[in-house]
Amino acid sequence: MLRVEHLTKVYETGTVALKDVSFTVEEGEFLVIIGLSGSGKSTLLRSINRLIEPTEGRIVWNDIDITALDEAGLRRVRRKIGFVFQEFNLVDRLSVLTNVLAGRLGYTNPWWSLLYYFPPEDHRRALEALEQVGLADRAHHRGSELSGGQKQRVGIARALVQNPEMLLADEPVASLDPVLAHSIMGYLERLNQERGITILCSLHYLDLVQRYATRVIGLREGRLVYEGTREDIRHMTDAEFKQIYGEEAQRLGG
Amino acid sequence: MPKGAKQWLSAGLSLVVPGLGQAAAGALQRGVTILATVVVLAGLTVFTAAQRARFPEEAYGLAALVLARLLLAALALIGVVYGLLRAAVLRRLPRPEDPLQARLVNAGFVGLLVLVFSLAGPTLVRWALTGEDASRTLYTTVLLIMAALLAALWWWNVRDARAVAAARAAQAPSPGWDGFIALVLLGTLVLGTRIVGIDLPKAIREYRETGRILGDIIWPWRAAFDYEATELRATALVQAPCPPGESGPPVNQPKAGEPWVVVTPTCGDLSVRDTKGKLQYGTLLHIRGGGFVPGKVVKIKWENPIGNAFTPRGLGPTEIEVGPDGTFESQLYIPDVVIPSFAQGPQIHKLHAVQPGALKFTGQLSREMKLALQAMLESVMIGLMATVVGMVWALPLSFLAARNLMFSLRTSPQGLVGGVLGLALGAAVGWWLAARLGQAVGGLERAPITVAVVFFTLVLGGALLGFRWFSRALDRAAAHLPGWANAAIRYAGFAAIGAALGWPLGLGYAHGILGIAWDPAEVAAAAPGLARLGAGLGALAFLYLAHRWGNEHPVPIGKLIYTATRTVLNVVRSIEPLIWGLVGVIWVGLGPFAGFIALTIHTIAALGKLYSEAIESIRPGPIEAIQSTGANRLQTIMFAVLPQVLPHFTAFSLYRWDINVRMSTVIGLVGGGGIGFLLIQWIRQVQYEHAGLAVWLIAITVSTLDFVSASIRKRLV
Repeated sequence: MLRVEHLTKVYETGTVALKDVSFTVEEGEFLVIIGLSGSGKSTLLRSINRLIEPTEGRIVWNDIDITALDEAGLRRVRRKIGFVFQEFNLVDRLSVLTNVLAGRLGYTNPWWSLLYYFPPEDHRRALEALEQVGLADRAHHRGSELSGGQKQRVGIARALVQNPEMLLADEPVASLDPVLAHSIMGYLERLNQERGITILCSLHYLDLVQRYATRVIGLREGRLVYEGTREDIRHMTDAEFKQIYGEEAQRLGG
Repeated sequence: MPKGAKQWLSAGLSLVVPGLGQAAAGALQRGVTILATVVVLAGLTVFTAAQRARFPEEAYGLAALVLARLLLAALALIGVVYGLLRAAVLRRLPRPEDPLQARLVNAGFVGLLVLVFSLAGPTLVRWALTGEDASRTLYTTVLLIMAALLAALWWWNVRDARAVAAARAAQAPSPGWDGFIALVLLGTLVLGTRIVGIDLPKAIREYRETGRILGDIIWPWRAAFDYEATELRATALVQAPCPPGESGPPVNQPKAGEPWVVVTPTCGDLSVRDTKGKLQYGTLLHIRGGGFVPGKVVKIKWENPIGNAFTPRGLGPTEIEVGPDGTFESQLYIPDVVIPSFAQGPQIHKLHAVQPGALKFTGQLSREMKLALQAMLESVMIGLMATVVGMVWALPLSFLAARNLMFSLRTSPQGLVGGVLGLALGAAVGWWLAARLGQAVGGLERAPITVAVVFFTLVLGGALLGFRWFSRALDRAAAHLPGWANAAIRYAGFAAIGAALGWPLGLGYAHGILGIAWDPAEVAAAAPGLARLGAGLGALAFLYLAHRWGNEHPVPIGKLIYTATRTVLNVVRSIEPLIWGLVGVIWVGLGPFAGFIALTIHTIAALGKLYSEAIESIRPGPIEAIQSTGANRLQTIMFAVLPQVLPHFTAFSLYRWDINVRMSTVIGLVGGGGIGFLLIQWIRQVQYEHAGLAVWLIAITVSTLDFVSASIRKRLV
């Protein structure tokens, strides 16, 4: 169970990205975070594994206070939390396989990494993960040679070899076309349902939210302004919609 | 106060003191700039006047002076007309997108014109003044221009004060700087031309005389090879001085089928140069020769008794044309050879009649060419070695100088205290160990490299490990200690750090600053007290910091390291390799090693900066991605940073090699080995052909490397 308590993030420039955000995520949930660009979704996700240091508040996961961890502790927690990025963030000059293997870095002795060495067991896991996302034949290509959708599948494979208990996904499909978007979301859904991995995912499109989320929270200007289930999204009122997306926002299609 | 009075007040203030009106109107920075500029320009005008006074009065015809002034006036008129025309055109055009840009373009055009004008102006004046040296008149002209500019600037300043006051009153943006920029530019360029001494007529005049030398340099390839000289030579013996009763060596007899020369008499007196340097002729020799090639020149050379041959000057013809039958006749006074008083026996000189024949190409490289090739290889190697060693050192430094990697590094105040403590402890332990180990391997005299490496590794390693362990340990402990304990650590540690920094500062102040004026004994007496004072002040300053920061304030330690590294790199880089070359020569003596040291030092700094900028420009995404897998700092660098920067690193290194080879060709000028050493030697010996060879080799090598490295780089990035 993940508990976010009174989370606040103020950047050095003075921008308040998050303000007193609190919510809870049960194990096995598929939580979707919605909100406009700049509403604090990315900051929230990055605060959970402390890619961004929160200014105030606590994040407690399975009774571990992530915000209080030292370097070694953070390393142990991070390797159990996968992260999937909007821009995929593959290392273009490394092979697809090495990119996936990088997911095992949290388990590897850092001195081995000086030689780019991974144990055979990790190679097996990486190939298996690539097979699951259907890219086993691309293992020895460079990351830069893949298309956008393929890159994101590698990104998921990288998160998979971490053997994660939770997966954070920051707008994983925003850079992809709608068909690819459903394919990528499908992978996430399978992980959620078959392996019971808790998923926190920020999304833009409400149709995707209705299709995949088990629960939804909405952010606006760094504040939590909405909390609901998949059902609630279907019956979202105009007032609720405007609360999340602002007064000028128009709902399309209904 | 009536409307507009403020503007006139501003204008009046600026009339008295330039910039004061602007400042009074609220544009303080503008006023200061104007005042500073006017002061500088006035100073330069006074300087010009002083320069002018150094030259004697010149008497030029009124006509020439008038002509010169008219020429300048015409030029100035062209500039003014052009400026007016452009302003008119600009006014007609539809308003440009960016008025600032349009103004800059305009200023650029006027500046270009001013440049041409100021370059051509003094030259034309000189041309008008009969081409003689006319320094005083020239300076008069420059002085007049400067004074006019000063007046114009003053006038502009008064107008500007009014405009600024008006703009402020209307809350409009301040007026532009166009006039100011144009005036200052004009003054700078006119003065610059004089100070640099740009002198077109001289360049043109001198070129004719330089042409031959330039030819040697431009096409020196005859000097690259050896030639066999086939020459006809005949020799006659002459005794001088001629003691009484002696008749000298026997007279030569002409022989058929080979060159011959007959000199009579074979015994005579030397010419003598008296104390006033006037030559008193000795015996006149009659010279006949034959068996030479008709129609070509025979050269007469004299060889003294100790074997030095020379061409006698002012004693008779030394180049005689051979007649159609192969014979020639001439006369020569015996030259003024100094015979030392202790010389014994008859002094026999030789007279050579030499007819140079055709040179035969041997296909062998000349000695100089071989030397130049060797030196060129040396230069390339200096450049290569400096690049490789520089890369090795620049790599770790570049990580410390990369903003994106360092700025996120923070520690608690306790961590900082622990780190500094660990740094000192680690270095001390390393030093102690290294001293033991160094003794064991035989000390600095017997094993200098081993000892240096041991010291370097142990001290640096100890310091780093100490820093890491202690900063971590205290950082971790801080989370569990009660607040008062943390505060105690913080205050005590910060005070110690401040004292440790202040102590050497105090000593430095005593020896470095007071030592300039004080007697060494006085300095030595005052130094300990000042060191204690420095330590005390440092401790106080850091105590205040500890108080202000509190227990929770993270210390931006990465930022500190970044700033320190960058500063050192920038200072080292701003000193040219030639100057480092001087340091190298003082350090290890003349030769390629000195050049290598110079280039290496500069390369470390330059590559360190280039590398760190490559690191700063990488995509941050992959770093986040690798970090979020639980990778530590080392792993993040290996997997997210290095793959992204390696191609850039390689490209920069190749580029640097390119620069280093070019630099190594000139590092020899200061004694750093390589081809520059030969080049400067040959130039000083007036061997322009050989110097030309060196220049050609440099050009060929550098452009080849340039091409090669450019094509590799293109493939990499």
